[in-house]
Parts: sequence; structure tokens; C-alpha cells
Amino acid sequence: MKEKISVSVSLKSYKADTIRYAAYAVSGGAYVLLGPGKKGEVEAAFEPKPNASAKYRAGLQKLFESELRDEKMRSEIADANRELREFMVLKALSAADDAGTQAGDYAGLTPAQEKELDALIAEVEREIKTETAGKERKDPLGITKTWEEKHGSEPFKNKNKK
Amino acid sequence: MAQNLLKIKTKNSVAQTNPPHFYWREVDGAYLISNDSGCHAWLDAAAFKRFSAGTLREKDKAFEELSSKGFIRDRLDFADLAAKWKSKNSHLSCGPGLHIFVMTLRCDHKCLYCQSGAISLSAKGADMKWPAAKKSVDFAFQTTAPGLTIEFQGGEPLLNWAVLKKTVSYARKKEKLSGKRLNLGLVSNFSRMTEGYARFLLENEVSLCTSLDGPADLHNRNRICSGGNAHVSVRKWLRYFTRRNTGQGAGYRIFKPSALLTVTKFSLGRAPEIIDEYAGLGLEDVFIRPLSPIGYAKNSWSAIGYTAADFVAFYKESLGYILKLNRKGAVIREKMAAMLLEKIIGFSDPGYLDMRCPCGAAVGQIAYNYNGDLYTCDEGRMAAWEGDDLFKIGNVFRDSYKKAVSCSTARSCVAASELHLQPACSRCAYSPYCGVCPVYNYEAQGSLWGNMPANERCAFMKGIFGILFSKLKNSKDREILQKWVKK
Repeated sequence: MKEKISVSVSLKSYKADTIRYAAYAVSGGAYVLLGPGKKGEVEAAFEPKPNASAKYRAGLQKLFESELRDEKMRSEIADANRELREFMVLKALSAADDAGTQAGDYAGLTPAQEKELDALIAEVEREIKTETAGKERKDPLGITKTWEEKHGSEPFKNKNKK
Repeated sequence: MAQNLLKIKTKNSVAQTNPPHFYWREVDGAYLISNDSGCHAWLDAAAFKRFSAGTLREKDKAFEELSSKGFIRDRLDFADLAAKWKSKNSHLSCGPGLHIFVMTLRCDHKCLYCQSGAISLSAKGADMKWPAAKKSVDFAFQTTAPGLTIEFQGGEPLLNWAVLKKTVSYARKKEKLSGKRLNLGLVSNFSRMTEGYARFLLENEVSLCTSLDGPADLHNRNRICSGGNAHVSVRKWLRYFTRRNTGQGAGYRIFKPSALLTVTKFSLGRAPEIIDEYAGLGLEDVFIRPLSPIGYAKNSWSAIGYTAADFVAFYKESLGYILKLNRKGAVIREKMAAMLLEKIIGFSDPGYLDMRCPCGAAVGQIAYNYNGDLYTCDEGRMAAWEGDDLFKIGNVFRDSYKKAVSCSTARSCVAASELHLQPACSRCAYSPYCGVCPVYNYEAQGSLWGNMPANERCAFMKGIFGILFSKLKNSKDREILQKWVKK
């Protein structure tokens, strides 16, 4: 039965975030420590929790590798659809109907309301188009930036160390 | 709204290059996929592979279904998807609708799992006094929600009858002046109920809810009453209020009484008996709730607690039995299933505050303690009873409504229960229908965020969702479950 295991993951194959999410996904049954590995690699170390079953311990590495593949796909899908999702949510939030309107209730709108709603949707669509037309998003506080983008590519380095 | 249907024809028969955003979960070799609007579909492994690779063709068996549910990128009906999203998340445009008044901390029961912090009957200074009650009503009516529910709880709220009665009358008056829709509810163990109390409550259209844990031996084992047999009073008054509901015609609405089932270790293996107890009393809903390690239950967990797997097995047996009764013509639902199905197949918001995103803490509900202290929710109040005031958001005498609902505690709970910020939830196929509880996380795992892969509540819910989605695949079960939503 394997106890502590260590897996090297190439940053060329997987983004740092992908590795983090995959590691988090298996954190229910194991303690996880991510650290720098060889150049261009992250070292993921796992120690099964005391109550983890023998089956879980034996399959932990495969589980993490499977989560890595899944997470890579999730990340690609999320990246490819970010604007589409934001557009749909914006459209939902900007709809000029009452709270709690059920799906399909639009049929009851008057022609004037229809016109007003169409104009509003067109306006939102124009705004989104303008905001996303090849421009950087406004982010003065750097909220959307990752740790690495803000502080460099060595997140585990102790900056106070002399 | 045909003009809003964004439908781009493809030049060839390959319908998509990339799928739109979707969540997935593998279940026994098949794949459940879902999206932000709450649509879901099942795919076999081969179809899932084609779908996720963006090579699904129009002639594919699954194509039409996926297209109608927003899973084909160039066939997205944005108006429909946005309407479903909005309807399912309608709580986002409302303020707190549920206002829980703790009329007293005193109680004549000593339930094994009590999380309300009840204290003995003779305790002094544990009742809500009229000034606090009046101020609480005024505070509640400041909600930005178009309607509100005031729920009287305890301890046992009937032990503070004089103030309760005055509060009901005042709230009804306030309703007329404010123009806001008001629902009143009482959660009681019925041990102190009298004909006089009952008449007043019915005349003021107060809905009634109690706890019923099953047959007498089980109920009385869980819910120990200092004044005698707890089960007898519950049955007596459930029958009384059911009779009154059937009779109606009194010039005011009489609601059907309801009951809550809290599952302890002693309930396991007794699902049919418990359901029969509900059906025999004419109750149309069984609300199967797991224990939470909050309050008294936290300390007695080793005696009454169980694993998530135990609870899920109990839930599966119970739901199977309820569906069997339905097939025989009985009118009875499982309440949690009904509320989750409202989201899954009804695309609407059932108002289930524990299972929404963000959770109801402060923005969907407020708990008013007997002394006017305000908490994010009743569970938050209980954490305070255990000595930790983390979830306190103010006091009716000192703080404004705006200050309470927008304080840092409220904001922290909103952030922690926003599923898109939770690493595991933001990837889960059940997330369009789910919710996390910061108080549970805090009590069980030591932080508002918790750790979902190791979270027992998450395991409960994943188990329940798994059962529901698998039942929906069966056409006979689906037919019954659809009726539960329409009810």
C-alpha cells in the first residue's frame, strides 16, 4: 500500500491553475503540498488522510492524473466561452421584467414593451461588443491577475530569505 | 421573441467546433452534462467524447436534444437561456424574504439534535419582550423584497404567547400600511397548543409547522419532552389543523399543516415506517433533512450522527418508497426533492435558502434573537449560542437595515457561498441547482469556505442529486416527479 506519493507535472502540458484545481479535487482524501520541481515542473506531493481507504490510497495517483486531464478540458472550455457566458448572464440581468418571471413569460408583453426590451438588448449587445473589441479589460487593482502575474513566476520563493 | 434567437447556420453538417460552456459528471460510464441555465442531458461515453471534442454532427441522435437545451454553440437561443437563468436565480433581485423571530429560548423539549439552543422552562430573561418584537417587525418590513415571511421559532414560541399574539396582530396591521405581502408561520412542537391559541393563529392566517420524526418510539427517543409524550401532542394537533384545512369556509385561508423530519442514527433502516406515519396523518410532504453538526447535535454526534453514505442510503430508500406510494395513488412528496426539481426541470427558484447561490445568509433571510440581535440565519445564531458571534450582523435597536445587510459578515457569507468562487463547486455538474452553507462549513471544517471534497454536506447533496437525476431517467418516475413540481 502506497503512503506518501509525489508526482511531477510539466508546466508545458498543464497551467499552474490547472494543477492547483486538480490537486484540490483530490484533497478530500489526502493532504496535498504543491511546490517547485525541476525547471518547468511542479511537484505535487500527496499524503493520504488517516481515514482514507486502501482502495483510495492505491488509486490516488491515477485519480490525480485523471483530474488533471479533466481540469485541462474544463479550463479550455471555460476560456473559450468566457465572453459568451458573461453575455448570457448580462442579458438575463438586464431583462426588464419583474423578479421571479418564469421562463417563457415573455409572450405576454405588449408591442411597446417588446420594442423597449429589444432596444435594451441591442444596447447591451453594443456595450459588450465595444467593451470586448480587442481591448484589455479595465482592472486597475489587478484583481483578475494571478499571483504569478503580480509577483513573478516563482510563487514558492520566500522573498524575506537572504 | 423570434428576433432574439441567435441562430447561425453552419456551412456544413459539422455543427460545432467547440461546445459552449458546460459542466459534466461521469455516472456509471454515462455522462450527465448541465449548463448555467439549468438545462441537463445524459450522453453515453462515445457521444460525450464527440460532444466535448466539438465533432458532434447534426445527424447524431443526441444533437436535437442538445441543441434545444443550449449545448450546441451555434444554435444558442439566448433569450430562452437567459430567461431560464433569470427565473432560476430570481432571488438575486430581492432582499431578505424570510425573517425568523426567536420568541424565546425556553423549551419543554430536550431533543437529541437540537440546534436552537433551547434552555429550561424556568429560565429568566430568555423571552423576546414586546419592544424587541415591535422593533423586529419594523426592521423586517424594511426589506427590499416585495413580500416577506415572518416565522416564529424558539425554543418553543408558544411559551411566550402574549408577545407572540401581539406581534402577529401588529405585523398584520403593518402589512396593510406597507402594501407588502406578508406570510406568517409558526414552528412549534405543539405541546402547549390550546383551542384558543389555535383559533387565533388560524384567524390570522398563520401557517403551522412541527417536527415529526416517525412512529411514537422513534419520535419520543429523538424528542424528549419534560411534559410527557411528545408524539401524542404532535399527532393530535396535526389532525386538528388538517381537519380545519379540509373544512375551510371560515372566511380566511387555512393552510395545511406541515412537518419536518430530522434523520438521526435511530431513523436509519426505518424509512417505510416513517413515511407511513406521515401518509397516515394525511401529510402531503415529507421533508427529509440530515443532521447538522451545529449546536447540541455537534456534542452528541457520536451517539446520533452517521456518515453521508448512511444518509444517502436512507434517502434513496425513502424516495423509492414515496414513489411507490405515488404509483398506488397516494398524494405525498419528498419536499427536498420537490424543491430541487423545481430548479432542475422547472427552471424556477423554489425559495430554498440553503440551496441557492449565494446562500440566503443576510441577503435572503435574517434571524432575530429574543434580545434583538440579528444574525445571518438561524444556524448563525446557533453558532453564537455556542460562544462565537461571527455571524451576528447587528441589533434591531442599534443598527439600520442597510448597515446590517451590507456589513462585512454578510458580504463574507455571500462571497463564500458564491459557487463560481468555490474551486470544486465551480466545476460540478450539480452546481446550477446547488448551494453551500458557510455556517456549516465554519462549524464542521473551521472556515466559511470549507473544503468541498471533504465536506459531508457536499457528500449528502451529491448523493441526493445522483438519486434524483437517475430517477429522472426512468420515464415512470419522471412522470410522478414532474407532478411534484407543478403542484
